[in-house]
Amino acid sequence: MNSDDSLLKTVSVTMRFGGLTALDDVTYSVKKGEVRGIIGPNGAGKTTLFNVITGELKPTSGKIFLRGEEITHLTPHIICQKGLSRTFQLTFIFPEMTVYDSIWVGVNSRARRPWNPIILAHHTADLSQKTQEICQLVGLEEKMNELASNLSFGDQKILEIAMALSTEPSLLLLDEPTQGVSPKETDNILKVIEKLSKNMTVILIEHSMDVVLRLCHTITVLNEGRVAAEGSPDQISKNEEVQRVYLGEIS
Amino acid sequence: MEFEKVGEKRTTLHYFAITFLLLLVVMGILLPKGARSLVTHMMIFSILAMGYDVCFGLTNQCSLGHSVFFGAGAYGAIFSILHLKVGILPSIFFSMGAGLLLSLVVGLISVRLSEAYFVIITAIFFAVFHLLAMDMTWLTGGDDGLSIKLPSISLGPETISLYNPLVNYYFVLIFLAVSYLILNRIARSPIGKIFVSIRENEKRVQFLGYNVFRYKLIAFIISGLFSALSGGLYALTLRYGSADFFSFHWSIMPVVWCLIGGLGTLAGSWIGVVIMSLFQYYVSAWWTYYLILFGIIILLILRISRKGILGYVISRRLT
Repeated sequence: MNSDDSLLKTVSVTMRFGGLTALDDVTYSVKKGEVRGIIGPNGAGKTTLFNVITGELKPTSGKIFLRGEEITHLTPHIICQKGLSRTFQLTFIFPEMTVYDSIWVGVNSRARRPWNPIILAHHTADLSQKTQEICQLVGLEEKMNELASNLSFGDQKILEIAMALSTEPSLLLLDEPTQGVSPKETDNILKVIEKLSKNMTVILIEHSMDVVLRLCHTITVLNEGRVAAEGSPDQISKNEEVQRVYLGEIS
Repeated sequence: MEFEKVGEKRTTLHYFAITFLLLLVVMGILLPKGARSLVTHMMIFSILAMGYDVCFGLTNQCSLGHSVFFGAGAYGAIFSILHLKVGILPSIFFSMGAGLLLSLVVGLISVRLSEAYFVIITAIFFAVFHLLAMDMTWLTGGDDGLSIKLPSISLGPETISLYNPLVNYYFVLIFLAVSYLILNRIARSPIGKIFVSIRENEKRVQFLGYNVFRYKLIAFIISGLFSALSGGLYALTLRYGSADFFSFHWSIMPVVWCLIGGLGTLAGSWIGVVIMSLFQYYVSAWWTYYLILFGIIILLILRISRKGILGYVISRRLT
């Protein structure tokens, strides 16, 4: 079952909240290097799928594998240490910390020597370097010393991505990275994601069809907790089922 | 790349603390006897305040159970001197050991709980320990307490005695300075950053690969350790300890000190201690219900700046 080459695989994952079935028998797999999109109307279970994968929620039934290793019952911090990182739909940052420090904390987590009380945090050269590289990669190097809460909303979304990157994940889950952001900043964020997706496996939840069509190789449509369709951007935009459940409803 | 703002903020705090400590060194000689004893008490409270700040200010765990560690520290020192006949310095080890043990136990049980439940369960710990201390008079002396005779400390050929108020003053000052240097170092080390990020957004820290429970527990224990040190020094200074050391006063005062001075600033809480102690000393003399007035002042300070006095000063400097 888990001996194929998929990086992430969910097998018949079902998640129920009382009488509500948020995910219904979702079997989903992502290969290394892919850029995957997940779309679907509100309440389709997109974020729930992320929550289940990252260990925030335990599925009612079903199994999740990362590189063939089962991670269904691990806690979020262990799953993160195994190379899976995510962003959050609502900005979920450290408001009273600087951009630099916010990213540094993740870099430090990856370095696996997180709690030496003797050294000063800013004196660890390798971590410092790594932090600055990430700042440059996402284009926040000018704002390294700003408090996170003082950033524009778009920059906060970028910081969100940078923080997820700081743990050097092999699989990055992005939960609506452009939601509520101005068109100009959206373009910025998309450029960052495009840059990342060249050497990283990315799963992207999006509301905007344009974004997904631009970035993703394969798109999965969720509806009412089920996989309604899966295919290339072309196939998806022509799929009648998709037009009915998703495009039709939005426009 | 320089980290100007962050650096400046830290240096401002650090300069403030160092100036404060130097001032205390000089004041020890200059102050009249009564005031010196008051300042000695303030310094002891400052250690408790800083210790508490690690818990509340750095990791956002609003504990109401720190009187447990304060009291444990006091009795750790008293019991070790009474029953084990140890010297002053070993008795402080015992006092911190008692704090370590209790904060480990209380922490393991309570740190996992989310905010409101954490507050309640730590308050329950306070209540249980206070009642136990009041009831077990054969052990603790209850309300009347236990008095101790202090052994003298030998420094090479010289011996000094804490009965001398001046010695007592500098003895406490050394502990305050060392505690500050240690805690400041911890706050600026990687683990300090992790503490602050937990304060800012606990769940996110989890998704950065940290075992949040472990770090909250470490912060809680560090906090308990220094609270116990404070309790031990207080018992040694008063040469006395009673069940009152477990009373709610010692749980709630650290919260007040830290809020007034500025959460997460360590040295800021000293300002809280000074204001509160002076207030208590002078105003309580002419008005029994001085705490009402004090409550209003706290509200005013927090109305002006949620970050307390020192937090306010720093944020003004930054903008």
